[in-house]
Amino acid sequence: MTQKSTDLKPLSASLGAIAKPEERELALKLEEHAAIQAELAERELKAEDLRAELGAFEKQYLHHVGTLYAELDELKAQIATRRAEANPRDQKAKSFACDARTRAEETKASAGEKSDVAPRSFEATPEMKRLYREVAKRIHPDLASEAADRSRREVLMAEANGAYESGDETRLTKILTGYEHSPEAVKGDGAGADLVRVIRRISQAQARVVELDAETAKLLQSDLYKLKAHLDEAKALGRDVLSEMAAKVAEQIARAKSQLDKVTAMR
Amino acid sequence: METIEKPAAGGIVVRKNGAQGLAVRSAALIRRGIEDLSRESNWTRKPAFVGKASKVALSSHGNVCAISAETRGTAPRVTIYDLHNSFGQMALAVPGETPALAKHLPASFAWSRTGSYLAGAWAAWQPAIHVFDLDGKEFTGAFGKFQKLPSHVAWSPDSVYIAAATIGGKSASLRLWASGLRGAPPMEDAPLAQAGLPDWLERQTYEAEFGEEGAFHGYGNTVFSPDGKRIASVVEIQGEWADDAILIAEVPWLRRVQSFQAQGHVSDLTWLAGGDALVYCAASRAYRLDFEPLESQQLPFDAEFCVAHPTLPLLACYTSWQQDSAKGHLFIADLRTNTRYDECEADGVVEIRWSEDGAKTYAVSKDGMAYIYEPDFL
Repeated sequence: MTQKSTDLKPLSASLGAIAKPEERELALKLEEHAAIQAELAERELKAEDLRAELGAFEKQYLHHVGTLYAELDELKAQIATRRAEANPRDQKAKSFACDARTRAEETKASAGEKSDVAPRSFEATPEMKRLYREVAKRIHPDLASEAADRSRREVLMAEANGAYESGDETRLTKILTGYEHSPEAVKGDGAGADLVRVIRRISQAQARVVELDAETAKLLQSDLYKLKAHLDEAKALGRDVLSEMAAKVAEQIARAKSQLDKVTAMR
Repeated sequence: METIEKPAAGGIVVRKNGAQGLAVRSAALIRRGIEDLSRESNWTRKPAFVGKASKVALSSHGNVCAISAETRGTAPRVTIYDLHNSFGQMALAVPGETPALAKHLPASFAWSRTGSYLAGAWAAWQPAIHVFDLDGKEFTGAFGKFQKLPSHVAWSPDSVYIAAATIGGKSASLRLWASGLRGAPPMEDAPLAQAGLPDWLERQTYEAEFGEEGAFHGYGNTVFSPDGKRIASVVEIQGEWADDAILIAEVPWLRRVQSFQAQGHVSDLTWLAGGDALVYCAASRAYRLDFEPLESQQLPFDAEFCVAHPTLPLLACYTSWQQDSAKGHLFIADLRTNTRYDECEADGVVEIRWSEDGAKTYAVSKDGMAYIYEPDFL
């Protein structure tokens, strides 16, 4: 028995009245499996859409606003340092300067370096969504029943996630066809073993659906999602809140620069 | 499904297995953006807790200690809310104590300067001062025996001493204990020093006995000087129209250094940075009290609560009354120019506190609304 793929097909039509009890049971389980496979693919697509949207939004936010916060905190750290240098006996000023430097480093690490190209927001085409559903149905690791197969699927699924997020349709198609033509996709036989395998796959898929629901709920409660939702609502009303936020921080930067000049001049 | 980690633009790690990995490193920046977004001025307004709290105390880190009963039929509890994190809550419990269902029991709480320790007395617990280590998340112990619960508790700036003031006429006192923390002697029930009925106080009406108009009522709001060497405490006088006094005593012996008769009942007092003057609020007005020479000067703004900036000549104030406005106001007062600025409408504010570095001010109302003042630069 070498069956490792998920593309077991309902046998009820071909079995007819001569089917053995385990074959009839297998046919029913395969139908159940096909249903959960489709449901899992749909949930996986939704979760991946949300992750990709939030991931892309995070990149945009850090590019447009995060890097400005890093610049602002760097200026604040410089101001605090100048003040501490001007009052060497003031332990509080020294401690504030130290804290300001730590905060500036943290903000810089979080915001990262500003890239030359502004990140795009995430948007998947209907064809990409269809392809992703197929990949999830066929390759999903939670539909595997053997460890080696599972590992292989995990790698492929990760590649598929990457391709989906970057909008790479060709790569997604290649992953799908590559898997379907692989030796692991060849079906085996033996109704008893198939039945056990398919029951386990159904159970794994059900557990993953629960996991995905919890993950999605958590993402929907995150600050990142709240901020994105707020910005999306404002966008619908014609406002570009991300730019407004950036402008506010830029104002603070201008004031910080002026403050730094004053503190430097006082030395 | 944990599948891969890959570096995204900006060095952010986006883990593909879900919510817990996404935006972990950028979380603080995201939260900062949300806060800045809701900011109309240098003040940000946000709910701290649900319901009305009978007593609140603010820490220099933006933690609110409040006694509240969020649901009907449940016993009130002492809860710590984090103004910077809506999900950060911690209920305080004293081993062996089961709070009664009764609401609005008297209480008094005080945070140490760094916000690491909380001392408090609550009528639902044994009549003692209970100390909690918030960093270690543990109950440190209780000390002191009170017939009447303290009306006010205060920490010295170095967290070595705790002072507790009580009212109650003749039996009222201001007492000082070693906290048992940071090298201080261990906590004991007996105080290190005690100030009782002030013999220097003149009765404001002579025909009445103690407990009547013009008599000593007890000690109220109490604060240590910035260097911790002196303590100022309001000496409360009975009667609607009586004038409270302010006692300045040395620490730890509570020997009187100076005393001053205020105009009306003192609702708040705060030491200015440097410790050579304090500002008090009496009958809704603000006064500056200098020590050398001892002289009081009315400031050109009204205030019921005020807290001095840790290093600059600034006050964060609240007044519930303002001409041409039905609402109360929070504002910053500059003592160099005696001007007020950065005003914010606010109702029912009962506590104000500067952050330890003086970069922010926190204020909270009894119905759980918090106000955070965060200017770019001071």
